[in-house]
Amino acid sequence: MSQIEIADVAIEYRKPNSDETFTAIRGVSLAVEKGSFVTVVGSSGCGKSTLLLAIAGLIPRSRGLIHIDGRDVEGPGRDRAMVFQDAALLPWRSVHGNIRFGLELQRWRRDDIDERARRFTELVGLDKFSDYHPHQLSGGMRQRVNIARALAVDPDVLLMDEPFAALDAQTREVMGNELLRIWERDKKTALFVTHAIDEAIFLGDRIVVMAKDPGRIKAIVDIELPRPRTTAMLDSAAFIAYRHRLRDYIAADMRSLALVGDAA
Amino acid sequence: MAIATDLEPRRAPSLGDALDRYYGSLVSTAAVVAFLLVWQVAAARGWVNARYTSSPGQVLAAALDIARHDDFLHHAWVSFSAFSLGFAAAFGFGLPLGLALGTSRRLRLFIDPPMMALYTAPRLTLLPILIIWLGIGVASKVAVVFLGAVFPIIVNTMAGVREADPHLLQVARAFGARRLDSMIKVLVPGALPAILLGVRLAIGRGVLSVVVGEMFVSEAGIGHQIMNYGEAMQVGHLMVYAFAISLFGYALTILVRLIEDRVRSWRPQP
Repeated sequence: MSQIEIADVAIEYRKPNSDETFTAIRGVSLAVEKGSFVTVVGSSGCGKSTLLLAIAGLIPRSRGLIHIDGRDVEGPGRDRAMVFQDAALLPWRSVHGNIRFGLELQRWRRDDIDERARRFTELVGLDKFSDYHPHQLSGGMRQRVNIARALAVDPDVLLMDEPFAALDAQTREVMGNELLRIWERDKKTALFVTHAIDEAIFLGDRIVVMAKDPGRIKAIVDIELPRPRTTAMLDSAAFIAYRHRLRDYIAADMRSLALVGDAA
Repeated sequence: MAIATDLEPRRAPSLGDALDRYYGSLVSTAAVVAFLLVWQVAAARGWVNARYTSSPGQVLAAALDIARHDDFLHHAWVSFSAFSLGFAAAFGFGLPLGLALGTSRRLRLFIDPPMMALYTAPRLTLLPILIIWLGIGVASKVAVVFLGAVFPIIVNTMAGVREADPHLLQVARAFGARRLDSMIKVLVPGALPAILLGVRLAIGRGVLSVVVGEMFVSEAGIGHQIMNYGEAMQVGHLMVYAFAISLFGYALTILVRLIEDRVRSWRPQP
């Protein structure tokens, strides 16, 4: 049995101040194996973040099933932890305090909170900065805290919503390598949303390509690159072939949108 | 990876630096001294009628007289206790209500109109009705202080909570926060600067309220003494009490400012 099972999920929003509904995603089915790293790509508005929030239990679905280890997702749970797009750190807490946050909310024992917060601060390489506040950190460091906060609560599934979107290209590459280094240690099931194709290939065992209007899964591509992944692979023939294939999928989505625009 | 710091290259401090640093205090002190001088000279030369304006010398003499013959500590204690009781009640009542109003739209709709009416009404217009209900004495004074102090606390707490970052609340929820967790770990710390601002405003209003209350409904206290000396045309004595109460309010305000500075230390410096 797969760790995450998603069957025919639809999510609709009521548009503000009207009776119309907006379909964010429809007919989404997906299975994610335990210990695999799955990336989700698609142009903006394809509902990839919406899908992730639904798996996190933060937004309700209109139809379909989401099961984690066979249990229905009814809300947030200790089996999942989320890494947010804009870090979303508490500005009044230090690095250490922010990494404690999830542990405190989940009511871990005090000793464990101290010990784990210290350990995960170290793991993301911020032990020298543990007393710094978020405004004193660079964007990359904030995302390290964001990741450490999620890992510290020892989730079965790690959900990541475009965590590197706001970072510059170099930092982004460093963070991708860092993330894989950390992930290789205990291979938690990971679901990583991004709009960057190279990032999706570099990180993932499998890529879910989404298209929009309505948001749906368009293709699933298995990435057969060996692990551990290295930056050198970015220039390999296999990598470039994946890049072309994915770009075609996403370009087709953009094209169909352009046609709709012309017709209107 | 770059760390943003506000450290500038260090160099030896010079006389100019010292002047820069103390410039504000120097100017303020000079202004006070100049004012006292002009006041003294104007009264002594008869440019103004010292019977109405008093003079620094007379105020000093009045202070000594009060220290010797008035029961200053008793009056100060009467005012202080009324202020403290009223303020503590205002804080204990206003903070939870402000938190509740900030988080519940329904409660806000229900309570907002009557509260705003009370907030904007000059509270002293309520004094006669308080006297009817509570009589002349401590209870009325405490009630006046409470009414003066409670609204800034409620309104600012509510505003602080409503400005909370919804994203942070979502993060809390993702980690399994219950309502009370979000309140304690996200809303209150986020609203703390606004809450302290409310407290600072409430101190000013509370001090004013205790003095005015005592002018009408008290047999003792600083406000009562101010009223007495006013009726006796003893301007010097009156000013000593007025100065004492100002000093008290000022000191408390400074104290809250210090706490505010500490709380804001996590913010980027402007």
